[in-house]
Amino acid sequence: MDVSGRLLRYAAGRPRPLVVTAPHATGVRLLAEAEIGRRGWRPAEAPAGASLLVVCGIPEDALARAVRTVWHQIAAPKAFVPLSPDRTAEAVAAELDAAVSRLADARAQREEAVRVPYGEPRGRDGGGRGGAEHHGDEGHGGHEHDMGRPGGVRMAERGPDRDGLALDRLHVPLGPVLPYWPAGLVVETTLQGDVIQEAEVRIAGGAAGAHGARAGATRFWDEPWLAARAGWPVTRGAAARRTAGAQLDSLARLLATAGWAGAAAEARRLRDRVLGEGPREEVVRRYDRFARRVGRSRLLRWMLHDLGAIDAPGGTDVPGWARGDVLDRTRHRLAGTAAALAVLDDRSPLDDEEGPRGPVGGHPSEALLAVLPGLLTGAELAAARLIVASLDPDLDQVRPGRVTAHG
Amino acid sequence: MGETVAAVVLLAALAVLAAGAAAFDASLAAGRVAIGDPLREAARLLVTQRRRTLLPDAPLRRIGVSGLPLVAVLAAAVLPMGEHAVADLPVGVVWFNGMEVGVWGALWLIGWSVNSVYPLVGGYRFLAQGLAYELPHMFALISAALGAGSLRVADVVAAQRGLWFAVWMPVAFAVYLISALAMAFWGPMNQAVGPDVAGGVPAELSGPDRLVFQAGRYTLLTVASAAAVPLFLGGGAGPALPPWSWTLVKTVAVLALLVWAGHRLPTIRMDRFMAATWLVLIPAVLLQILVVGIVVL
Repeated sequence: MDVSGRLLRYAAGRPRPLVVTAPHATGVRLLAEAEIGRRGWRPAEAPAGASLLVVCGIPEDALARAVRTVWHQIAAPKAFVPLSPDRTAEAVAAELDAAVSRLADARAQREEAVRVPYGEPRGRDGGGRGGAEHHGDEGHGGHEHDMGRPGGVRMAERGPDRDGLALDRLHVPLGPVLPYWPAGLVVETTLQGDVIQEAEVRIAGGAAGAHGARAGATRFWDEPWLAARAGWPVTRGAAARRTAGAQLDSLARLLATAGWAGAAAEARRLRDRVLGEGPREEVVRRYDRFARRVGRSRLLRWMLHDLGAIDAPGGTDVPGWARGDVLDRTRHRLAGTAAALAVLDDRSPLDDEEGPRGPVGGHPSEALLAVLPGLLTGAELAAARLIVASLDPDLDQVRPGRVTAHG
Repeated sequence: MGETVAAVVLLAALAVLAAGAAAFDASLAAGRVAIGDPLREAARLLVTQRRRTLLPDAPLRRIGVSGLPLVAVLAAAVLPMGEHAVADLPVGVVWFNGMEVGVWGALWLIGWSVNSVYPLVGGYRFLAQGLAYELPHMFALISAALGAGSLRVADVVAAQRGLWFAVWMPVAFAVYLISALAMAFWGPMNQAVGPDVAGGVPAELSGPDRLVFQAGRYTLLTVASAAAVPLFLGGGAGPALPPWSWTLVKTVAVLALLVWAGHRLPTIRMDRFMAATWLVLIPAVLLQILVVGIVVL
């Protein structure tokens, strides 16, 4: 009797997917998330808890290396699900089905487990998971006086912290493989305890390389405006659907990061409904209930106010909606969704430039990334995650070579 | 002999209730009935490889992972299942409190031992959470003990023949429920295992380690709910049904409430909560003790 084989097959129907998204693959990510939600699979939060690695889009450079590392970190039984950006909903479902049958194949899983020596840990700063690899040790300084490298890892340096204590400094990359995190974003941080002392923004995934400029580099959230500009007939209603979807997607990430799983799931369901051409009345009715619940939550208000305040009035190209703190931005997204839902059936031609994240031609996400390091410096990890989620920069908008912001 | 049977019954009851809590949790998360999901997850973890990190402290990890369900079960030993507990200690309330503080050790050891950033941050977070919830929690327990004039859990139940403590000590009961969430790092008090740090303390655990951790967490939540019954909800007292079934019904009700709350509320961060707990919760529960003291006199 093959007990472990039976357990394996029994468990295969409920895998824990870890979804990694490359830039320019928002569309297929939405399809994958919707299908995973429909099947009731609970996503994993870290490689150790995952059994499926779902990669949306085509990772390049640093992201490709991160994906390899993460795949290596996932314990067998496991299955790899690459989804290229042009996949349809049916193709995504078929890929996931195929992954389930690979998970249920006891013999192949055993062979894989024997063939690849799993879990040989590789030296990285602080043993940090995160998924990003370090490109050598250059640039961080402090290792001239090398005090030995246990396990191939640099010893932590010391430095004064905000309370005047000398605490260890760890170099920890946030992203690119992190749940509810913008695709392709990496924030290189210097941590003391859980307080960020320094932050630097990088892009992993190829947007900064030559590939970013090629024709396949789609900007999913800005598509209606770009299409209208190229002369295609686009209605205001179609653009409003995209705006509402974008706002709900950002809200879902923010709420999930804030630990409100129930509201985040409802935001995702609404997002899929509105992008899936759901009828206006039904979407509006459900949205109103959702917005009331989120808008009235005192706990949420208490947790989000006075975080990551942006007050610069002019002087920067930060879009207007990003001003204020995390709570202000949350309210703005709720209001923005409601406004977009009101004009879903508008058939007049689209003639403005106001995409979900600001003027489409202005590449507003570049400005968001530019202010990010300043906002993150001095923030605790939890606050930093909320700040990033509240701004939710769209790296598809970022032009090659435009980003490395320090703080 | 009788004690062995009682211990086996306790373990079985905890296992069933914890599995029920996991099934309810999975159903709420999936948005549909998903009772079989925890079983499948357990099967998956049983056949999954154990993850190794760079330079871990394996003994500490083992102590931490196995310590979590252990302290939960030990804390449950003093709770009466019907009329009798497995161990009817004269200082049962203190024993419960002492065992439950063992969770601090377990989480910290896991967070520290795997030598990874996010689990370490999770461990730190739970210590901060401990500083925030433990004092109000102890005062809430003391309110119940003071009302009964005894630290024996059976005496606390007996003292509620006339009126449940939850009714005339509402502040202590409310504080107990908050601290029950906090000790099981559940729902709004889940910062130690938060999604913002990739799952926090158990982020590097896979396979059997993760299974024991998850089982321990659901058991802890069950025990925290079960303790509310003898301390505040009259224990096994109730019409028609025998005491054990009332204990069960009340435990399930509290447990369902806590699991549901976990999906309805966002996470409370300790940097904000710390001020509230010291400036509001502790004074409020101290006033509660004062009122209880005057009534008892």
